Amino acid sequence: MLLANHPLLGKTIAGDKTSSLTIRAAEDVARFSLRIDPASAQSAGAAFGTPLPTRIGGLVENGGRTALQLGPDEWVLLAPVAESDAIAEAFAALQEPHSLVDIGHREVGILVEGEAAALALRSAIAFDVEAMPVGSGCRTIFDKAQIVLIREDNNRFRIEVWRSFADHVWGLLQAVSREIALGI
Amino acid sequence: MSNFRIAGKGRVNRSRQVRFSFDGVDYTGYEGDTLASALLANGVHLVGRSFKYHRPRGFLTAGSEEPNALVGTDRGNGRFEPNTRATVLEVFEGLKTESQNRWPSLTRDIGAVNDSLYMMFSAGFYYKTFMWPKSFWNKVYEPFIRSAAGLGKAPTAPDPDTYASRFAHCDVLVVGGGAAGLAAALEAGRSGASVILCDEQTELGGSLLSEPAAEINGQLAWDWLEDTNAALASMPNVTVLPRTTAIGYYHQNFVGLCQRLTDHLAIVPDGAPRERMWKVRAKQVVLAQGAIEKPLVFAGNDRPGVMLAGAARTYLNRYGVKVGNRVVVVTTHDSAWHAAFDLAKAGVEVAAIVDVRGTVPTQLVSAADALRIKTKIGWTVTGTKGRLRVSSVRVNPVGAGGKVGGAETIACDALLMSGGWTPSVHLFSHTQGSLTWNEDGQMFLPGRGKEECRLAGAGKGRFGLKAAFEDGAAAGAAAAADAGAGSGAEPASYHVEGELSFTGVTGRELPTDRDPGHAKAFVDFQNDVMAKDIRLAVREGFKSIEHIKRYTTNGMATDQGKTSNINGLAVASDALKRPIPAVGLTTFRPPYTPTTFGTFAGYNKGALFDVTRKTPIDGWAEENGAVFEPVSLWRRAWYFPQVGEDMHTAVARECKAVRTSVGMFDASTLGKIEIVGPDAAEFMNRMYTNAWTKLAPGRCRYGLLLGEDGFIRDDGVIGRLAHDRFHVTTTTGGAARVLGMMEDYLQTEWPDLKVWLTSTTEQWSVIALQGPNARKLIEPFVEGIDLSEGAFPHMAVATGRICGVPTRLFRVSFTGELGFEINVPARYGRAVWEKLFEAGQRFGITPYGTETMHVLRAEKGYIIVGQDTDGTLTPDDAGLSWAVGKTKPDFVGKRSLSRPDMLANDRKQLVGLLTADPKTVLEEGAQIVLDPNQPVPMEMVGHVTSSYWSAELGRSIAFAVIQGGRSLQGQTVHVPMPDNVHSATITGMVFVDPENKRLSA
Repeated sequence: MLLANHPLLGKTIAGDKTSSLTIRAAEDVARFSLRIDPASAQSAGAAFGTPLPTRIGGLVENGGRTALQLGPDEWVLLAPVAESDAIAEAFAALQEPHSLVDIGHREVGILVEGEAAALALRSAIAFDVEAMPVGSGCRTIFDKAQIVLIREDNNRFRIEVWRSFADHVWGLLQAVSREIALGI
Repeated sequence: MSNFRIAGKGRVNRSRQVRFSFDGVDYTGYEGDTLASALLANGVHLVGRSFKYHRPRGFLTAGSEEPNALVGTDRGNGRFEPNTRATVLEVFEGLKTESQNRWPSLTRDIGAVNDSLYMMFSAGFYYKTFMWPKSFWNKVYEPFIRSAAGLGKAPTAPDPDTYASRFAHCDVLVVGGGAAGLAAALEAGRSGASVILCDEQTELGGSLLSEPAAEINGQLAWDWLEDTNAALASMPNVTVLPRTTAIGYYHQNFVGLCQRLTDHLAIVPDGAPRERMWKVRAKQVVLAQGAIEKPLVFAGNDRPGVMLAGAARTYLNRYGVKVGNRVVVVTTHDSAWHAAFDLAKAGVEVAAIVDVRGTVPTQLVSAADALRIKTKIGWTVTGTKGRLRVSSVRVNPVGAGGKVGGAETIACDALLMSGGWTPSVHLFSHTQGSLTWNEDGQMFLPGRGKEECRLAGAGKGRFGLKAAFEDGAAAGAAAAADAGAGSGAEPASYHVEGELSFTGVTGRELPTDRDPGHAKAFVDFQNDVMAKDIRLAVREGFKSIEHIKRYTTNGMATDQGKTSNINGLAVASDALKRPIPAVGLTTFRPPYTPTTFGTFAGYNKGALFDVTRKTPIDGWAEENGAVFEPVSLWRRAWYFPQVGEDMHTAVARECKAVRTSVGMFDASTLGKIEIVGPDAAEFMNRMYTNAWTKLAPGRCRYGLLLGEDGFIRDDGVIGRLAHDRFHVTTTTGGAARVLGMMEDYLQTEWPDLKVWLTSTTEQWSVIALQGPNARKLIEPFVEGIDLSEGAFPHMAVATGRICGVPTRLFRVSFTGELGFEINVPARYGRAVWEKLFEAGQRFGITPYGTETMHVLRAEKGYIIVGQDTDGTLTPDDAGLSWAVGKTKPDFVGKRSLSRPDMLANDRKQLVGLLTADPKTVLEEGAQIVLDPNQPVPMEMVGHVTSSYWSAELGRSIAFAVIQGGRSLQGQTVHVPMPDNVHSATITGMVFVDPENKRLSA
């Protein structure tokens, strides 16, 4: 197999020690954009092997597979890379009209962790990040880049960003980490 | 050096001396000083020259409203800032500052000649004096005026600082940390609401910092302040932001705060931002901005040493600095008396208190008597003397009926004035909240608001400490309750001892025995506007305050008229003989105080200025010497020069390689949209001009997209992967726009269609291999696809594997040569590229950039949407009628194509052009005329859209749009360019291989 590459491969920003803010490129995952009539969400969940959330912003994580509802008829599905083909095959057998598109390579994942995680994100995200429920996600704008933001835990967020925008998001997070490390 | 510091007074840290310089002279101050307080402590009043007349100026105020004391600051490493207000600039070890707008020196300034020429510079002098001759305007008058009149010099070096921003959401935002703001924040904080309290000063306290003698609930003001600071700090739901100015108040309670992070530090940590813009969305806002003292308008009110009484009190009580040794006070308001009393108690000689009012509260007079201060009730000030510092003041009694009696002169080295206080309603005004005139207080007060906002304290005319505390507490409690927090408990009550009397009248220009038409009585200190300028404007017919403002420039300087607006209005109202509310008030606009561009830019400078999108193969191109060009947000390899090559040579070599063997091109930026669903073909039929139903899976078609107006919007090759799945490509710049347009139609016009759109631009890396050897090169690497001409002809698409990774392989050509566009998952793009590049060495494989791509496509007559089209070309205009499905019932833009105007013969049509001189490469954008000898202005019939040197043909080629161009084939047109008028022949657009033999070579 050829060498896989993306802009943030292996990168980490070590922030300050007190708030243990660390920012790193997430491990690769398989990603799909699923579009389907919400009335068929249940059969889609069966195909995915994990029930789909039924509320916009809702997130269901089960056995390494994650489904996030982004819109009335839109979900993003994350899974271990090795399960990518199996997921595609399972959906190929789904009778209900739908669209499953592989976006695994379109995006890069960034993990923002630590007590200052929400503070760091507030530098570039306009909505109230502090108030975002744990176990939810949404599509939003980070400075000038469209991202999907997932709050995995109180102090852990995952950013999914198109790969050519990843450098910009990363550079901004670097500047923000410096401020937080300096305590200003 | 004189020492004006008073022992035992002030809040500055006497144990921390700070050395700084002003105009090259070294001084010392203390930590906690502003530049103003530190210079005054050294006896320095003269700090600048005025804007227009170059008059010597000193400190008027002790706060952000300062109009005079603007200095240049040098923080080292290219950190130079002009026009910094000395009254807010904190001194630190090593700070270098300089005065402005003077030459050769502050004390001997040539420009001061303007002061004796003041008649020349009266209101509207711009419009009157320098009218003729017209040609003098740009070359003589404007440069002269600009250099003689003005503020500091703009820095020439790039700003080395970085800036930050942060969004915040809170229940209650309190603007202003004085008595009212603190009470509001305490109340809201205790209710459990999330609170942000910001104040522009170094520390919280506002006027309490200048009033140490007041007692609040049995505590001295500064003790109370310390406890309050601690109480706020202990509340996790309260964020306190000192050094943070609320600069603008926008819709839906969105408030911009500028926080100064490092300007006060002698050593700035590496990578620390200088300022941060807070973008606060608050459920409720409490504005507690306080009030600004008004100067009095009289002749000579601008000399160094003449300052606001409240400022002198602040310098004394907060900074421990006396502003002079022998002061005179002139006032129409009680508050100046308290400044006099505090100074007298501190041992300063107060030569007289001159009060223009006929009667004054008796307790003030007896207090003055007790301090042996001479009082002159019912007197006026009619002039001052002193070239670089006030040395005496001329005072006269005002008799019954306003008759001004004989003058007396009192020697002094400082003259303190107060014309009362103006509530700071700026932010409220930003929200378009209405202001109503309060006749008793002679001030504008907030009226009906438009935002979830309340005002408190002096900012809404509630003067006095107790009133401010209680008003603030009530506002804080109510704001918290309205934000959904709080228990509804009664707000705390405040007991204040040592409350100062606070009555006064707002006068007009002070009465004088001299001709007011010659009095240099300043209204706007920063813009050098005098009372007589405003009267002149009225005499010349200006009636609205908005017009008077622009004609005289009153209130237009960086201080936005904070000290001049009401005085200017009063003078105008007198001159117009109309009441103030009938004259109106100019609009307050953000920012409240001058704000750096850096703060607005935030992180977006340098590499973070904007997104630079790079393809997965970009790194390889960089390592291999590519020159890049920006294409929308992308940067793309433009050409790959080898050692010694210029662009022309490199492009010619790259073109030749493609035509003779094989070239490779990074086409990853092409927009890609995956269209999936049972109604995919129907959707395609409705969006694109072409017919899609019969396109078989595994085949591609050129797609043309119009707007509703029938004009070309985008194009691209579209592959049908399966019955229900299309792989659409768009132009690089059009990707987001096309997806948006499609979603718009899908969601609003055709929600019944079962089809979905997904952007896959970045899912795929695209490597274009073009040239007669392209197939030979990739054959060994491809699995699962029969590449033979019969099985995989031009415009075929198939999925399989290449170099071991999945691929969507397109047999397409934008060069006219046999070609492939290899789509591989983006993370493998670079590896596949490198593998093919290595394998292609035996064919002399040549990477090429966008310039070569442009030349090759132009040789074949392929258009580029956005270059050869400009939003006014129909398919027919572009020679693309073949791509329109005439029998289709409908598609976007179809109806517009049958409008009579769209069928006219003289529409501009896209044609080829060959210059008479084959060596001439026309300029893109050059205009085209039919007869070069016609009189100017000539009738232009079109313009050149694309123009290149074609190495293949050994001559230049071009496209142009020309009126009725297709019917003019073979005719000569003329292209005027700066060097010459070139003639050219109209031709078809295909210059190379018109039979398309090479596509299937």
